[in-house]
Amino acid sequence: MHEEVAAYALGVLDEEDIEAFERHLDGCESCRRELKEFAEVPGQLDELKHLPSASEDDPPRSMSR
Amino acid sequence: MCPVLSHLDGRFESADAEAEHRIAVLYQEFGGPLLRHIRKSTGNDLQWAEDVVQETIVRAWRNSARLQWEPSLIWAWLLTVARRIVIDGRRRRSVRPHEVEPPEVDMLAVPDGSERALSAIVVAEALRSLSEEHREVIEQTYLRDRTISEAAEILGIPPGTVKSRLYYGIRALREHLRDKGVAG
Ligand SMILES: [Zn+2]
Repeated sequence: MHEEVAAYALGVLDEEDIEAFERHLDGCESCRRELKEFAEVPGQLDELKHLPSASEDDPPRSMSR
Repeated sequence: MCPVLSHLDGRFESADAEAEHRIAVLYQEFGGPLLRHIRKSTGNDLQWAEDVVQETIVRAWRNSARLQWEPSLIWAWLLTVARRIVIDGRRRRSVRPHEVEPPEVDMLAVPDGSERALSAIVVAEALRSLSEEHREVIEQTYLRDRTISEAAEILGIPPGTVKSRLYYGIRALREHLRDKGVAG
């Protein structure tokens, strides 16, 4: 359950898991601490959207290299 | 106990008046900062951003018995809830904002020298420093607005594995950013 804190902080936890995780959060000091820390992460990842892609017109490349 | 939510009991003639006051207090405390945060993710759509803030505050009020936390944790909770409302809203509108497809981290242009581009470069570097498995789950969830189960299906791995990789990937990302002096 603890590991769900990352998905929760990023807002990607599935709807049906959210309530159970919030109940866990009520009783879990370490997840509350990590939620505070991870709350910064979406804003940091959003910075990537301000970067122009070097070659937007190229065909998409595979994620794996 | 959170001072924002805890000092109101027993001062109101009706439950409605108390609810109204609690919502007003939440707005006063968190409304402005929340709006500034949300505007970015709504592509500067002020009307939409205001709706999201309102819904977030109402949910916070409904959860106020639960949210007996200190303000910084309430703030984290509000950000998470607001972000989720924005993502759900995008789906309902079926409007995919143009920036939803993230640039591939290893194809990024030279920064233009602004502070923003600089920190974007640092974040891109941090992402690139992660293992393939960790980078992949961050890309397939947050950066593409997908939930855990959607990403699990695309990647062909169990949802539990996605959650776990996301957790350790985010920890590694934070560590890298902390080394660069970006994160607290
Ligand atoms: Zn926990």
